[in-house]
Amino acid sequence: MEILIYGAVTSAIYALLAVGFTLIFGVARILNLAHGSFYALGAYGTYVLTSIAGLPLWTAALVSIGFVAVFGVVVEKVLIRPLRHSQLGVLMISLAVALVVEQTLFLVFGSEYRNVPSFVDTKINLGGVDVAGQRLLTLAVAAVAIGALYLFIQFTRLGSAILAISQDPEAAKYMGIPSDKIFSLVMAISAALAALAGVMAGPFLSVQPSMHLLPIVKAFAIVVVGGLGSIPGSIAAAFLLGYAETCVAYLISSSWTEIVSVLATLLMLVFRPAGIFGKRAAF
Amino acid sequence: MSYSTNFRSLRRLATASALLGALLGVLASPQALAQAANTKPIRIGVPTSVQLQVGRDTLTAVKMAVDDINKKGGVLGRKFEFVAADETENPETGISAIKKLTADEKVDLLIGGYTSGVTLAQLPHISAAKTIYLGVGAASPSITAKVKQDYDNYKYIFRVGPINAAHQARSLVDYIANFVIGELGYKNIAIVGENAKWVQDLVPVLAKGAKDVGAEVKLTELFDTQTSDFSPLLAKVKSSGAQYMIVVLSHASSDVFAKQWHDAQVPVPYGGIDVKSMDGDFYSRIGGKAISEVAANFAVRAPLTKKTIPFFDEFKKNSANYPVYTAFFAYDSVYIYAEAVKRAGSFDTDKVIKELEKTKFEGVGGEIVFDEMHDVQTGKGKMNLIFAQWQDKGERAVLYPKELRTGTFILPPWMKK
Amino acid sequence: MKAFRGLDQFSVTGGLAALAVLGFLPTLFPGKYLIGVLTVAAIYGIWSVSWDFMSGLTGRENFGHSLFIGVGAYTAGFLNVQFGWGPWWSLPASMVIAALFGLVLGFPTLRLRGPYFALAMLSAAVIMQRLMLIFWEFTGGEEGIQDITPLIKDPLHYYWFVLALLGGITWFLAWMARSRWGLILRAIRGDEATCLAAGLPITTYKIASLIISAAFAGLGGALYAHYQLQVSPQLFAVVTSITIITMVYVGGMGTIFGPVGGALLLTLMTEGLRNFGEWRLMIYSLLLIFILFFLPNGIVAPTWNRLRHLFSQERP
Repeated sequence: MEILIYGAVTSAIYALLAVGFTLIFGVARILNLAHGSFYALGAYGTYVLTSIAGLPLWTAALVSIGFVAVFGVVVEKVLIRPLRHSQLGVLMISLAVALVVEQTLFLVFGSEYRNVPSFVDTKINLGGVDVAGQRLLTLAVAAVAIGALYLFIQFTRLGSAILAISQDPEAAKYMGIPSDKIFSLVMAISAALAALAGVMAGPFLSVQPSMHLLPIVKAFAIVVVGGLGSIPGSIAAAFLLGYAETCVAYLISSSWTEIVSVLATLLMLVFRPAGIFGKRAAF
Repeated sequence: MSYSTNFRSLRRLATASALLGALLGVLASPQALAQAANTKPIRIGVPTSVQLQVGRDTLTAVKMAVDDINKKGGVLGRKFEFVAADETENPETGISAIKKLTADEKVDLLIGGYTSGVTLAQLPHISAAKTIYLGVGAASPSITAKVKQDYDNYKYIFRVGPINAAHQARSLVDYIANFVIGELGYKNIAIVGENAKWVQDLVPVLAKGAKDVGAEVKLTELFDTQTSDFSPLLAKVKSSGAQYMIVVLSHASSDVFAKQWHDAQVPVPYGGIDVKSMDGDFYSRIGGKAISEVAANFAVRAPLTKKTIPFFDEFKKNSANYPVYTAFFAYDSVYIYAEAVKRAGSFDTDKVIKELEKTKFEGVGGEIVFDEMHDVQTGKGKMNLIFAQWQDKGERAVLYPKELRTGTFILPPWMKK
Repeated sequence: MKAFRGLDQFSVTGGLAALAVLGFLPTLFPGKYLIGVLTVAAIYGIWSVSWDFMSGLTGRENFGHSLFIGVGAYTAGFLNVQFGWGPWWSLPASMVIAALFGLVLGFPTLRLRGPYFALAMLSAAVIMQRLMLIFWEFTGGEEGIQDITPLIKDPLHYYWFVLALLGGITWFLAWMARSRWGLILRAIRGDEATCLAAGLPITTYKIASLIISAAFAGLGGALYAHYQLQVSPQLFAVVTSITIITMVYVGGMGTIFGPVGGALLLTLMTEGLRNFGEWRLMIYSLLLIFILFFLPNGIVAPTWNRLRHLFSQERP
């Protein structure tokens, strides 16, 4: 029973991360290794705004997410776009950005864990399992956010534009869709989702400068397994991986959980690079 | 290009050698020699985790001791000076820190240490540099075991605090026997620790000792130091039927552990060795979620010796917080080295080592006497482990040993009837 | 001479002179500290050169080079400490084991295009690091293996030994790069489809170059183990791979000798920056960004080439 609930919470966080990652890849063919940094900045932003600026939690969270979204757009425009001709170049520079962010956080805040207050401080008992309220809230928020994104893409003009570019960038340009503006928008959404994950998970997971590493490894794993560029694929893979990890943690030992995602990545890349739902056109 | 540089440098070298020869001739007279030696300061190298509280407090303590001794005229006419090197928690950086201190900064003495794995990696390099090392933070017994195994190469190593993991295990067993079982009546315990060398050394001794005093160890689990999600672990502890959780933590995220334990309202109180919870601001920085945790400390602001309270107060003036364990030992280390040098009448490493071995010094936490492995002895009047609990408003009450008790045990708020 | 085929006089004399200067440096500025730094720099040079041979020439960037380094180092550790073999066995053993890993990993991953090979190797390195931690009873976990015996006790002599190996390996790989082998590797970077059409067994060449790259990286790992006298999972870290890639970028991708200069430059810079302590990695990352944008051909190689032109103009 615990596995069911904890697995769901873990999967929800992973889904938030993965969807953002696959979105920017599907649309702009950018493998953004700085995605984890958005997650970290979301959590740190909330920490700074609540403990130093003294803002109330909800406000701090929203401001933090907004800031990260803007940051993502700036990074894309200034650093990534000039190197878009080389996928490896983009990889290297996004990695460099991630390292710079980590070092900045380290220099400013030190390597010790920081505390982000929880949104909900109660304990809820679900089917005999004690769960912290914050975790369930995370699950709910993630579901709402992804649902909203899905509706946005399916039912608005902007959403259709995004779909168009991801399917065929050339044709979309001929149709007059401003791809550069769309890239910025998608980057903002991607960064915002990652920051949201950071804000929600910060209270109960650790907040320290190297916290961007694991999320990016997981996000990449999920997206590869689910198929790069496919949102439903990412969500499905997020749950697959989230539950796989939780099962391993409960039944074997927590030390093995990290290997699950990385091994999944490696095996998928070797045997079926397109992933479960992906199109071969992914590369 | 390279050739002309080489030649020029050769000429420079020749001139330098000539000057050096002349200088040495002047200094050859014993008077002059003593004069030159007198003005050179004694350099202390401090390899520690500068980023963490344990490191910062080590440096503050060394500074306090150095300032105090220098004010009183130094040792044998020479004053102290110290330089730090960050060893982080990583063996490679640690080795590089030792190399920097011994080869580059040419220190006379090393005081520091925290992570056992790092210290173990540094030992061969410290031995090669023939420099005395006074350890104040690392707990693995393997460190001092080397002193006995290979005295000639490793006689330089001393440990100035009762942190030897085996000693700590025995103290924990006493705590379990006399307090957890004796006073609280909990026989079923769970042992949870981080998967680091010192814990790997400590847990077997602890588990056996606990069984010997009548406890039933329902669960023993070592988790990866990087773990950030403890919910599977806490759930396992709860379902194991344990009534009390003994923790052995140092590098792991104690903050997150406490928060998750509190948020899930796990009906199992916990206590044990938790280095991060020794920090003065541990309680407040996690919003009070450490309430009812019992943590081992090596000294608290209580009259353990006549130096304890003055040290605590003086420390608070120099830093924003009360000291953690490395501070007491680092402070005492400087003094015992100074005393050993005075007794030896020289700074010669081998002579000082012989005097260090004869140390009988009243430190901040108790009397310091070394055993044959250069470890501090424990026992009545000597240095010991003290168990204190986090209570309301961040107050800490000493619960064990009974003679030093200042408060009564409280249960976590969700377990109060 | 056939050995120096394709290399002009400047490169040969310049290279030998540089080697001599490096060898004499510790005698001019005596002190264990400098020797230590230079030894580490030379080992990074070996790692960078081995990376460049495969990834620089073929354009298939290997983000998991640290795996081969770690494997070589741990092989040395195991043989020396666990099995009690003499330290000199580590050298051939580490090369063999690392080469084996290169073979096993190369097979499935080298057919991946684009950044996928890079990321697959990265994943492999992360898995190895994790495995070292999980099986801590055998591998020593986070603290790794200690008490490795040094190969040559005197630090100066060990430095010269490592330097000699660096020189030898660089010469060998540069020779390979100028031979038909290097030509094919460069052709692969250009256009794989054409190579296939021409009937070249490109997969064999790709895997073979990875094996060679891995073997030398492993050797470097063993040399490092006998210098540090300990090995830890940190060797497998992503940071190590990124550091080496940065060194290659600074040196000049695909030039073979450039990365050696890059390694020396960056190692010395890192030690020089020690006083900045925490700022070190930050400066590294910023440097990487700077180079990616403004100096995609690196610093060392273009400078060397410019010097070469200067000298060739001087000759009547």
